[in-house]
Amino acid sequence: MIRVEHLKKNFGQLEVLRDVNANIAKGEVISIIGPSGTGKSTFLRCLNLLDQPSGGEIFIENENILNKKANVAKIRQKMGMVFQHFYLFDHLTVLQNVTIGPMKLRDKSKVEAAERGMELLKMVGLAEKADAYPRNLSGGQKQRVAIARCLSMDPRIILFDEPTSALDPTMVSEVLGVIRSLAKQGMTMVIVTHEMSFARDVSTRIFYMDEGVIYEEGTPEQLFDNPQREKTRIFINRIRNLEYRINSPDYDLYALNSEIEAFCQKHFFSPKMQHNILLLTEECLQVVPLTGGLDYLLTYSEKSSQVSLRLILPASTGMIFGADKEPDTISLAIINGLTESLTESVVDDSLIIEMILKK
Amino acid sequence: MTTHIIGFLFLLATLFSGCGDKDAKPTHTDGSSVVASEKNLAKSDGRATKDGSDLETARIGAMTGTIGEFYVEEHFLDAKHLLFDDINDAIVALRSKQVDYVITAYTTALLASKHNKDIGLLPKKYINEPAAVAVRKGNYELVEKMNAVIHRMKEDGSLADLIERWLEQDGGEYDGPKKPAGADAPVLKVGVAANREPMCFVRRNKIVGLDCELIETIAADMGMRVEYMDMKFSALINAIESGRAEVIISNFTVTEERREKVLFTEDYFTNPQIMITLKGADDMGQDDDASGFFVKIKKSFYNNLIRENRWKLIVEGLKATLIITLFAALLGTIIGALVCAMRMSRNRLINGIARVYIDIMRGTPLLVMLMILFYVVFASTGLSAMIVAIITFALNMAAYSSEMFRTSIESVDPGQKEAGLSMGFTKVRTFIYIILPQAVRKVIPIYKGEVISLLKMTSIVGYIAVVDLTKASDIIRSRTFDAFFPLIVVAIIYFLLSWLLGVGIDYINQKVSSAK
Repeated sequence: MIRVEHLKKNFGQLEVLRDVNANIAKGEVISIIGPSGTGKSTFLRCLNLLDQPSGGEIFIENENILNKKANVAKIRQKMGMVFQHFYLFDHLTVLQNVTIGPMKLRDKSKVEAAERGMELLKMVGLAEKADAYPRNLSGGQKQRVAIARCLSMDPRIILFDEPTSALDPTMVSEVLGVIRSLAKQGMTMVIVTHEMSFARDVSTRIFYMDEGVIYEEGTPEQLFDNPQREKTRIFINRIRNLEYRINSPDYDLYALNSEIEAFCQKHFFSPKMQHNILLLTEECLQVVPLTGGLDYLLTYSEKSSQVSLRLILPASTGMIFGADKEPDTISLAIINGLTESLTESVVDDSLIIEMILKK
Repeated sequence: MTTHIIGFLFLLATLFSGCGDKDAKPTHTDGSSVVASEKNLAKSDGRATKDGSDLETARIGAMTGTIGEFYVEEHFLDAKHLLFDDINDAIVALRSKQVDYVITAYTTALLASKHNKDIGLLPKKYINEPAAVAVRKGNYELVEKMNAVIHRMKEDGSLADLIERWLEQDGGEYDGPKKPAGADAPVLKVGVAANREPMCFVRRNKIVGLDCELIETIAADMGMRVEYMDMKFSALINAIESGRAEVIISNFTVTEERREKVLFTEDYFTNPQIMITLKGADDMGQDDDASGFFVKIKKSFYNNLIRENRWKLIVEGLKATLIITLFAALLGTIIGALVCAMRMSRNRLINGIARVYIDIMRGTPLLVMLMILFYVVFASTGLSAMIVAIITFALNMAAYSSEMFRTSIESVDPGQKEAGLSMGFTKVRTFIYIILPQAVRKVIPIYKGEVISLLKMTSIVGYIAVVDLTKASDIIRSRTFDAFFPLIVVAIIYFLLSWLLGVGIDYINQKVSSAK
């Protein structure tokens, strides 16, 4: 139903999608997971040409939509899209939101469209809000209307772009419930999501995207329980990992600290442990030169109940804790005091500093 | 809203209570006898608080572009000069002590003091240079024809009769030339400044006066019929240079400077310049000022609106103001939408053109733009002043409204466009069904303000000889010498119009919002 070949997308100098290839059959539910900024949403937006691909081919029901003669508007009518921020038409009531498409694009009569509209609103549980305006709905309700609006065009495929990311946690399940029921009805769907357990039990296949490609794909069982490749594994373990990218010495220390604190609370670390992690982080970032940027990776292994901190720097930085340097500064003394072990190695063009914290 | 009206009435009351002392006795206003009042004034001259001894260093007011202005500039070097467009404004300035003296034509001064008991004349007369008809440069044939008529009128004494009649009997029942040319006779376009009684003024909603009878008589003699363009005195030369008028007559004194721009006929009347000033409180004599506030208002109401059907002038002015505002708003909105589309174009040339247009319109005073369009750009096309006014205000409105439209369109969340596109709407239909309705709702409150300010801005069209509300009040003021009442009436009308416009736009807004 959807065939993607060598899809490329650049934003200026930035290469977001390098070479994406995929085949999606009718009735499949695909969840796309992966770290932020790896092009998941871009991939989705390329599928209905909200972003114009820089190269490659996309076939929807065997029609090449990148062909200049392709009727893009017609193709989009077959592919609904649900956005992270809903984008309901603010000037229209809920019912008008789900009837404007059929009336203007399918020449349905007002009565016909309203009948079908009410049916859809019933399906998403919002029939009684038909005459309300979007501004009077909660986030979860808005997203359900957005799904109903999508369905009003009788699409063959629905694309979901992080449909629950902008919602309060309490409203996530009402939206996921609607998507689940669509999956049961056999709707072909492509879902970009961060809800791993949802992805796991609703999908027929999972795409893990990274480095501008579909880095690994498989059934939910394959991908979640037995990931084959290094980055996938790290990502799947992400619940146990905190990753943070520091680009310059002017990084946002408070943002990093608050993420560390959230991570600590998620894993029920002791206050002392949290304190130690924060302290170690601060001292390390004082010792290590930040001009070349740095990847910060905090990992918690449930098996060994060990917390480790890994810093990845450009190799050109040169060894920092190397034997030829005495731990003569206070920072180094503190770091040594907090860690059980500290290893420093150069792999390819990266300098990797790995520390295991004392329990 | 109610508080606005109350505030307005309060302002009104304050103004009237401070200025109720200048109404004329009804017997005087109809010009029963200029000579009689002249005698009265001759007596009161000596009693004027200021006697002219301090003229060298005083503050002297003059009408812009008149011979009086030039005279003070040249002869009272140390005096401070202030310029006015209208004798009434100058009188108000005298009263509020912003000027000490005002120099004006003798005939005007007589009338001013007749209508205002607190205004007195100084005895000294300046400049005995005569007035003549000014003709567009190069039209020697017309000058010669006119000279022949003037010459003959001097010979047979009819000119002297005419002058005497206007100076002493207010023109009698003059209502046009004795032997008028037919309606299909060629037109002689005459520029006048009709706020100079008895030379040229509006009586019973018609432009009449010494100058007018003279030019109408001359024109009839030449087999032509006169068409007046009433404008500011200072704009008269522009009108003739740009070809908008063929001749001007308005107590127009012959000077060397003016000779460079126009041709002059033989002179017909000598009207010296004279100083007027404010009389001291003890010089005022007994005043029948005991009449109450409402009696004064009633009197003002009668003088300014009922007498000579002057309210018709206000109605005419109102019509002009409304026509200009409505058409300019409509046209301006359409052009504005166009400019907005150009401004949002990705084509750099089209975008640049729109940008430059907006910058020019927003960066030049509207009055200047109006005069440029009327006297320069459209001068040779013969487009009527009304049309030029509509075009000017529409162009101005377009510049502002296009930017309003653009910002309101851009303020609609880009996600709305994506949502429309992803449903399968084309770009155009997304704009029409999704973006536009939301943009319109955002723009209406600012748009309302813009239309109301457009209404008020039209008050400058008097500069190009359109009689709108403001100009109508000027004309009435120049006749009744009542500085306040016509202004207040007009202010109230503007206020009510703005209010109605606002209500109207709000109504449309509600209709648009509740409909789909």
